[in-house]
Amino acid sequence: MPFRPAFSRCFSWDIRNTVGNIPMEWYKDYPHIGYDLDGKKIFKPIRNKDELDEFLDKMENPDYWRTIHDKMTGTDVCLSDEQVDLVHRLQQGKFGDVNFNEYEPAIDFFSNEVMIHPVTNRPADKRSFIPSLIEKEKVGKLVHAIKMGWIKPRRPKETAPQYYDLWAKEDPNAILGRHKMHIPAPKMRLPGHEESYNPPPEYLLTDEERQVWEQQDPDERKLSFLPQKYLSLRAVPAFSRFIQERFERCLDLYLCPRQRKMRVNVNPEDLIPKLPRPRDLQPFPTLQSLVYHGHSSLIRSISISPSGQWLVSGSDDCTVRFWEVCTTRCLKTMEVGGPVKSVAWNPAPSISLVAVSYGENVILVNPGLGDRLICSATDQLISSYEEPEEVKDQQVQWAVPEGKAQEQGQRLILTHPKAVKQVSWHGRGDYLACVMPDDGSSLQVVIHQVSRRRTQNPFHRNKGAVQCVSFHPSRPYFLVATQRYVRVYNLIKQELTKKLMANCKWISSMAVHPGGDNVICGSYDCRLAWFDLDLSTKPYKVLRHHKKALRGVAYHKHYPLFASGSDDGTVIVCHGMVYNDLLQNPLIVPVKVLKGHIITHDLGVLDVAFHPTQPWVFSSGADGTVRLFT
Amino acid sequence: MSQLQARFFTDNKKYVIDDVPFSIPAVSEITDLSNVINKLLEGKNGDHKHVEFDFLVQGQFLRSSLATHLETENISTEEVVEIEYVEKYTAPQPEECIMHDDWISSVEADSEWILTGSYDKTARIWSLEGKAVATVAGHTDVVKGVAWVKRDGLSSLLLTASLDQTVLLWEWSSERNKLRARHCCRGHAGSVDTISVDPTRSKFCSGSWDKMLKIWSAVPTEEEEEEEEESNRPRKKQKTEQLGPTRTPLMTLSGHTEAVSSVLWMDTEELCSASWDHTIRLWDAETGSQKNMLTGSKVFNCISYSPLCHRLATGSTDRHVRLWDPRSKDGSLVLLSLTSHTGWVTAVRWSPSHEQQLISGSLDNLVKLWDTRSCKAPLYDLAAHEDKVLCADWTDCGLILSGGADNKLYTYRYSACLSDAGA
Repeated sequence: MPFRPAFSRCFSWDIRNTVGNIPMEWYKDYPHIGYDLDGKKIFKPIRNKDELDEFLDKMENPDYWRTIHDKMTGTDVCLSDEQVDLVHRLQQGKFGDVNFNEYEPAIDFFSNEVMIHPVTNRPADKRSFIPSLIEKEKVGKLVHAIKMGWIKPRRPKETAPQYYDLWAKEDPNAILGRHKMHIPAPKMRLPGHEESYNPPPEYLLTDEERQVWEQQDPDERKLSFLPQKYLSLRAVPAFSRFIQERFERCLDLYLCPRQRKMRVNVNPEDLIPKLPRPRDLQPFPTLQSLVYHGHSSLIRSISISPSGQWLVSGSDDCTVRFWEVCTTRCLKTMEVGGPVKSVAWNPAPSISLVAVSYGENVILVNPGLGDRLICSATDQLISSYEEPEEVKDQQVQWAVPEGKAQEQGQRLILTHPKAVKQVSWHGRGDYLACVMPDDGSSLQVVIHQVSRRRTQNPFHRNKGAVQCVSFHPSRPYFLVATQRYVRVYNLIKQELTKKLMANCKWISSMAVHPGGDNVICGSYDCRLAWFDLDLSTKPYKVLRHHKKALRGVAYHKHYPLFASGSDDGTVIVCHGMVYNDLLQNPLIVPVKVLKGHIITHDLGVLDVAFHPTQPWVFSSGADGTVRLFT
Repeated sequence: MSQLQARFFTDNKKYVIDDVPFSIPAVSEITDLSNVINKLLEGKNGDHKHVEFDFLVQGQFLRSSLATHLETENISTEEVVEIEYVEKYTAPQPEECIMHDDWISSVEADSEWILTGSYDKTARIWSLEGKAVATVAGHTDVVKGVAWVKRDGLSSLLLTASLDQTVLLWEWSSERNKLRARHCCRGHAGSVDTISVDPTRSKFCSGSWDKMLKIWSAVPTEEEEEEEEESNRPRKKQKTEQLGPTRTPLMTLSGHTEAVSSVLWMDTEELCSASWDHTIRLWDAETGSQKNMLTGSKVFNCISYSPLCHRLATGSTDRHVRLWDPRSKDGSLVLLSLTSHTGWVTAVRWSPSHEQQLISGSLDNLVKLWDTRSCKAPLYDLAAHEDKVLCADWTDCGLILSGGADNKLYTYRYSACLSDAGA
């Protein structure tokens, strides 16, 4: 057996290298590989096994699989059967020793069973039978604490159950409270006489009613069925819609919205804006007090003297009359050469002049009423004019009347190229604006300076026919109302500052608030527009109280009042409070409708004017009277 | 309620009846009650003549049926109603109607003569019988106020105020019927609407549209003697010279913010003025300072003071006659409003002899005679005027005068019930 000798040779030849665990490359260049136990060199085997030898060996040697190369000695070692077995066991994770039993039975020494022979024979400690000092000290402390009352005996346990009212804190008045929200299911209506098998005859439908019932939509029907009469209960057939009705009832029960509707009860009166009561806004004119009779034709225009003592009225009967306000006495009548279109008392208290326009003329009249000194000073002012050396070619002729006209008080006559419709004074009383409405003409508005007898045409081109003009009470502005717009011009800068859109068809009259920031416009289509110049170019408010065209509007100088006169014969007085606070919009409350004028030729009130100091309003009408309302 | 218990009493000894409650029908009116009293008096003494009575319940004149009166006055009908009765005031008897050429703006009468100011720029003197005596012409504008200053035998002093801003002091001798302007008082810058002469007859006060009150001396100075000699000049010249030397005011009281409409002297040291600025102001005439102010809500047109009951009556532009206590300190206390007019009240005048009666004239063409115990209805309406009443006066001798825009001055004789001792 070739196997045996090889095996025995392998183990009997004990060659041990003593170089230790070093990399064997260090001996690569030497012929030996290390040293044996005797210190003799171990030589590398003279063997040059090449690949071919290796392969032949593998093919031919049956022990090749158990041959391993020992690097330490450079020899091939053939493993014995026992060694191969050991390798297998170790690879399987078993103990190397075949005879080792890893599951031997264990002996439990420290069990609960008292053995007759103790495991240890140690005597008991002393402390196990001597009372503990530390514990004694602790107990003493507790006893002391109990004696002192620091520790109290344990309270007896409460036997009461430990629950509470979860909803105790709930507000019983809350709308969403638990019980309030209970909404019972809708109840079915109990059957009545209609449902009876034998209803009283009045419950049975007639043929007409039946037809109506059949034509009605099922939702609209008052009864969902037709009452029918049977001879006896036995004759009643089965109810064909039973299942259907039960089903609908079930749907009602579980689909009906169990929801409380929070309906807000709105009082319709609350929706009306809260306006103060007119009674709280007094004083304002309420009653017709005086009537100034005398004119025989309609009175186009009235004006009050700045002192409030006199009234001037211009009428179509070609006269101008001066009245004493408090007695209605006509103190003076002056005839002029045509129907008077406009009169205006000079607002300056130191000048006594009235401008009267008729036809193409404007005359300045000194009425001779009031303070004599002021009257004579006015006369002096007008007569002191000296003709300038260079005579400018003016479109308006200035002439001094003579003879009777001079005696009557006429001081200056201004002849215009066209008919003058309106005259308006500047607040200081030197400038006078005249309106000659003519669509498309360049000469519609002229401004006269009385002291220098000079005439200016401020606009070279006018858009539309000018209706009326007004000077701003405090700033150098000039307001021109055409048919649809009011233009505000700055006279110093000579430019258009603002253009107010009146939203009406034809403006008839205009008045400027004494504060200067508000303008009212009356129009022939029954509207009165209030403009707040700071707010917008559109009307802040449009009042449509009149039934017919408005002819005149006016502001009071001190009281928060304005009035409008209309063709329906009424004057409507409104409270128009303008606040100094820029954030607060004007308060406009209509307070009184004043009636009195008789409508003549479809014309009612033609002009309104306020008394300068009292809350009184004057109105002139087509019936030839001026009326004072206080 | 058809019957109620009433007890009648009176202070007049002549008409006393038994102090027993009577049961009278509730609907009975003055005439019924008057008949009851007359019946009782006839039963008492046979020679009783029928007398009309007026009845007062708790100081208020009965003007409707008894039941409605008690209801409006809130008087219980359960108890016995105490009714006072007085002899009915006889209606003022119209006497004269004096025609003028123009509106009459002011009137003042004394025991002999009537002085009226007119819109024809003159003032006129009339006898009480309505005879034109003299025409005071000198103003260049409407005469707005007139006043007698004093009577010295046959010569009198009188004042006229006008729209031409002057007040003229005239001397008039009734014997020779000669008028002479003694002084021209210049100083006002507006029309002089009202003048009033003080009780000592030495000063007068004028109120004007220029918001001022001015106090002037009413004593003509002796310098005029020289001018009297010059009065033999040609007539035309005379007229311009007639106005006499100019006089300036002794004192100017300023404070009103609007025109002064009426002024009067309450006594020698106290002035009272009413104005368009809604105030009545009381002034100290010595120092010229304002003492008190009563504030109303409407323009005051006229004012009158009664020394008998110490009250002011004012007429304003809201058709009420209001009574004020000038001594009240809190300013704006209206004691009573007499409401019946329908137009502005332009004239009020207290009775000079009766402490509860006054007259008022209004632009509704009526003059009303009031008793303050009946504030809803006047005693009598004197409806003679056909146009606005502008002025009224009441003389010591029981003559009521009123003038207006119908150019007529009416006079009425009114005896404030001689028998009325209990009022």
